[in-house]
Amino acid sequence: MLLASANFGLLPSYTVIGLVLGGTFALAAIGLVLIYRVSGVLHFGHGAVAMFSTFIAYTVAVEWGLPSILGLFAAIIFGAGLGYLIERFTIRPLRDRPALTKVVVTIGWLLVLQTLAGAIWKNTAYHRPVQLVSRSGFKVPLIHLIIGYDQLTTMIVAVALALGTAALLRYTTLGISMRAVADDPDSARLWGVNVDRVTAASWMVGSAMAAIAGVLITPLISFTTFALTLIVIDAFTAALIGRLQSLPLTVVGAVFLGLAQTYPRAFVSNAGSGEVATFLLVIVTLLVLFRPGTSRVRLA
Amino acid sequence: MTDKRLRHGTIVAGLLVAIVVPLFLSDYYQYEASEIAVLAILVLSLVLITGFVGQISFCQYSFAAIGAFTVGSLVGGHHWSFWLALVVAVAFSAVVGILVGIPALRLSGLFLAILTVAVALFFDRFLLAPGTWDSFSGGLEPWKIGRPSFVGIGLEGPYAYYAFALAAFVVVAWLVWNLRIGKTGRVLRAIRGSEIAASMIGIDVTLWKLAAFGLSAGLAGLAGGLLAADVGAVSPPSFDFLHSVTIAALATVMGVESIGGAAVGAFALIGIPEILSHTPISPDYFQLIVGVALIVQLVFAPQGAIVKMTEDVKRLIGRSTTDDPPAVTKELAKV
Repeated sequence: MLLASANFGLLPSYTVIGLVLGGTFALAAIGLVLIYRVSGVLHFGHGAVAMFSTFIAYTVAVEWGLPSILGLFAAIIFGAGLGYLIERFTIRPLRDRPALTKVVVTIGWLLVLQTLAGAIWKNTAYHRPVQLVSRSGFKVPLIHLIIGYDQLTTMIVAVALALGTAALLRYTTLGISMRAVADDPDSARLWGVNVDRVTAASWMVGSAMAAIAGVLITPLISFTTFALTLIVIDAFTAALIGRLQSLPLTVVGAVFLGLAQTYPRAFVSNAGSGEVATFLLVIVTLLVLFRPGTSRVRLA
Repeated sequence: MTDKRLRHGTIVAGLLVAIVVPLFLSDYYQYEASEIAVLAILVLSLVLITGFVGQISFCQYSFAAIGAFTVGSLVGGHHWSFWLALVVAVAFSAVVGILVGIPALRLSGLFLAILTVAVALFFDRFLLAPGTWDSFSGGLEPWKIGRPSFVGIGLEGPYAYYAFALAAFVVVAWLVWNLRIGKTGRVLRAIRGSEIAASMIGIDVTLWKLAAFGLSAGLAGLAGGLLAADVGAVSPPSFDFLHSVTIAALATVMGVESIGGAAVGAFALIGIPEILSHTPISPDYFQLIVGVALIVQLVFAPQGAIVKMTEDVKRLIGRSTTDDPPAVTKELAKV
């Protein structure tokens, strides 16, 4: 680990990168929390769903040369469909089984999607990122900082979707049903909520958000199948900071994680230095926020 | 009684096949056979932690990596004796296992699973990444180590190393079997059944869980060290997170409780890709098959394919096993 000459002049631009990264983590994490709260399943394949949908966008936008926005829509539709398939055919039949069994099923999906994507798009090959808007940007006066339009777009989309999810849960019938199912599926059923349909909807919305996060993150990380599948651990970290319950805290956690992963790169010239931040955050969060008594899954 | 006879017969027959059949195989298949024997130890380490204590682990290959890179750096970089390096490797892995076990004590189920994923990624992305600790990971250059010799007998030949690896597996399996049937096994399974109940009857859950983590990681480290000498070179990609996930998935498919399942699992780990390489399907699809098998299996045969198969066979030959009472009740009756 070599200490690179610390360059404080770069801090503003690293802050922007960290915020953008945090915004995409937040999207993935919100989807994860939504799925967990409603169905009680911690979805280890969440990153793999994001990855596969993103590569659908890549195929449409880069390989076929269609407009990037069409690629994004294809990814969203694909993600939602995949989320539905996973819930309907491999999670719903396991309703009365231990929570861990369902988690292991999502691990199975991780393997399936990762291997399939590796076979279709090649694991290690370089992929051109799906660029939704131009990379050019504008200068911020006084400080030495250029913000790319793509970075700005990502942040706006992240904020809009986070607020949109909050509004969905608060003001729509579907959202209120989701909260009812999350709190107590049995009484929700008694009140006439179609629990199966609400659960499936949460998987679709959550997976669609993972797809958006995946497409937005491609310019920021190495765009390979494996790297994208692993954003599940970043989503977990953010979700754990929100105790797998609170969406606002999850967003805060995601932004914090994004910054914590980016800043070390300004000072330490090591590819993996950002991973240390994730690792430490996971351990600290698990130990501080999840005491032995509360570490059981309430929603199982 | 007959059940015991049947089991002894199966073990003797299995061992005979394992010793004799590879004699007639080509060098290449003998090499694959030794890989199977080594990986069986790795699967056993998983059986120990998942099957006996009920803790899930997605970082078993990280523990194996500690063993492999300790052997690699000490033998390849510092010209130590392989055996001394192997002892250090096992001890080092066990210590790291206990370190991972400490936060794990406060966690259960899902949260422990997340922790082990974080550990695996920490190894992949940081500890073994080139530039972080090159004198351990070898940087971009894989460690090269030769085959050792055992009390004067060279293990260079593929069959010689296979026989050695098989012996190591048998010793480890015997050890784990004794853990399983002895007091230790009952204690561990009581913990698996219910930690609260276990602590109420005076079991020091903390100590036993740490010991189980240490032992499991130590065994994984042993497998890693033996794998290093078997392959002759050590490089980080062979120990990544996806390997850990695959082996955990496979152990689940095979039934994480049985020692026989570990051997069969290791056989599948090498055998299925080998078979696939002779078909138009690429061996890369192995993980896909494991994933599909995992999903299908959990929906239809939750206790593990091997366990289910044995029960089906028993039922067929009229030795029907009645439904067992819950594990906790049985364990509590014994301790």
